[in-house]
Amino acid sequence: MFRNHLARETDSPYQGGVFSLNINFPTDYPFKPPKVSFTTKIYHPNINTNGSICLDILRAQWSPALTISKVLLSICSLLTDPNPDDPLVPEIARIYKTDRARYNKLALEWTRKYAAGDGGN
Amino acid sequence: MAESLEEDYTYSGDDDDDDDDADPNDYYGDECMEEDQEPVDEREPDPEYFEYKCLTVSEAKTFLQRQVEELCSKLKVDKRSALVLLMSHGWLIAELENRTEQDISNLLIEKGVLARHVPQAKRSVCGTSCSVCLQRKPRDEMKALLCSHFFCKDCWCKQFEVLINNGIASDLQCMAIDCHIGAPEDFVLSFLHVETIRKKYDKFIFRDYIKSHYNLRFCPGTDCTMVAQADKPQSKRVDCSKCKTSFCFNCCGAYHAPTDCETVKKWLMKCADDSETANYISANTKDCPKCHACIEKNGGCNHMQCSRCKHDFCWVCMGDWKFHGTEYYECSRYKEKPDIVNECAQVKAREALKKYLFYHGRWENHARSLELEAVTLGNINKRIQEKVMKNEGTWIDWQYLLDAAALLAKCRYSLQYTYPYAYYLESGPRKKLFEYQQAQLEAEIENLSWKIERAEKYQRGDLQNQMNVAEKRRQTLFKDFFPT
Repeated sequence: MFRNHLARETDSPYQGGVFSLNINFPTDYPFKPPKVSFTTKIYHPNINTNGSICLDILRAQWSPALTISKVLLSICSLLTDPNPDDPLVPEIARIYKTDRARYNKLALEWTRKYAAGDGGN
Repeated sequence: MAESLEEDYTYSGDDDDDDDDADPNDYYGDECMEEDQEPVDEREPDPEYFEYKCLTVSEAKTFLQRQVEELCSKLKVDKRSALVLLMSHGWLIAELENRTEQDISNLLIEKGVLARHVPQAKRSVCGTSCSVCLQRKPRDEMKALLCSHFFCKDCWCKQFEVLINNGIASDLQCMAIDCHIGAPEDFVLSFLHVETIRKKYDKFIFRDYIKSHYNLRFCPGTDCTMVAQADKPQSKRVDCSKCKTSFCFNCCGAYHAPTDCETVKKWLMKCADDSETANYISANTKDCPKCHACIEKNGGCNHMQCSRCKHDFCWVCMGDWKFHGTEYYECSRYKEKPDIVNECAQVKAREALKKYLFYHGRWENHARSLELEAVTLGNINKRIQEKVMKNEGTWIDWQYLLDAAALLAKCRYSLQYTYPYAYYLESGPRKKLFEYQQAQLEAEIENLSWKIERAEKYQRGDLQNQMNVAEKRRQTLFKDFFPT
């Protein structure tokens, strides 16, 4: 099991936040995808309160040629570009699609509250 | 008793004028019951008639093979392409044979049989390091599909093993990122060396073929490998020639006429979900007479206080507790049901529950009767055995009892499946007609069951008459309500 930190830099409500992830490698890795989940709370349409991530390459689209760095890169781009059409949390997806300002505000609040870099994560 | 049965049969032709069905001449004939059966015409529009064949695994494989070859020669493509095309189009050759060449090659690219553009061999660039296990391997250990993504033998083998163990067979693909080139059977097999895995792969591949086929279905019987084949797939009955399971060709569930596949699925799901809860609620709870909250009694005392509205009432008569006081036993006297406002949501829910329980009760009851009648059939067999041993007629003479029992089972089974139909039927004249016919069928079935259980007391003609009436009722109902 790995623990990993994602530090966000780009222009998004998750900017500056430090997010911890758990990565579980099944015995058949890399022929089966690793199980990746967030341990830091995050407000995102594709990540639920358990930290489960809805990402195609972690399920059906997994390829044994993928590496953990590529997976983390994909997760980073999922943060900047949520996929509200295939949501794990429909309520957040709805807000994302209808009221982007409110979504940004909430996501920023959560980031400040739970993912502050100096929070000792 | 044994004697009386025999007498009935032997003499009925002579001493029974109004019931001439058991006349020896009618023994093999179809003249009996003129008033109930107009022979030939009746059979033609049988709504349950369905043409199908039961194939063994090897017959089914030959059949599929022939279809692949047919498409190969029609489209001038190789077997692998034909197979993939067929699987993606439900094996409907007609849908594929008139496509243009361009169309077909686009389809083949989409399905990962052909590469979009023939890639340059990357082997020289990548050297001989496998990008999955990151180890350096000798050149001859590196294999690739037509997309030229080279990986080492061990990784291919492991990848296929893991996926096959997860039930994936016909859609195994290249391991490279975002590459959807499919792995043909011979490619996969060249890496599988363990016998059990090869067998599994073979089994799953065959399963995928059948599952994608528009007119082939696996028999759902336990451990049965037969495949049913019908030219026109319909929701009709198939009886497996090997394990005798009867199932609906369309949904592969238990045969469910006159109810359709959708409805019966809904019904079975409802039964699985609700029955226990519903039974418990109706047996152990009552609604508060004031606020209609559902209340479960968890103690012996009949003085109840609703935890929501604090209303005090008597569990037995549901009346206000205030008036009980000294005259508690007042409530054991029968009185008209006190007026309850009937509009409240809880009352409606209970009403819906009552409706469901009504139909579910009957559905269950007929299922139980079916089981019990299977026992009766066993007894009939035993009785016949005894009679034949005692030289009271031959086996053939008593055959009609078995026919009667088989018919009873068939009719009752149909009757059982009329209940989900009725449950989902909207009220109106059609429902009235349905319920009328259902009641008629039910009455005749109960008559038949009664007579079969007491076969000794009834004449053979009488029983056969009853059989015809019951079957006729069943067919009438099917003709009106079961789509052909």
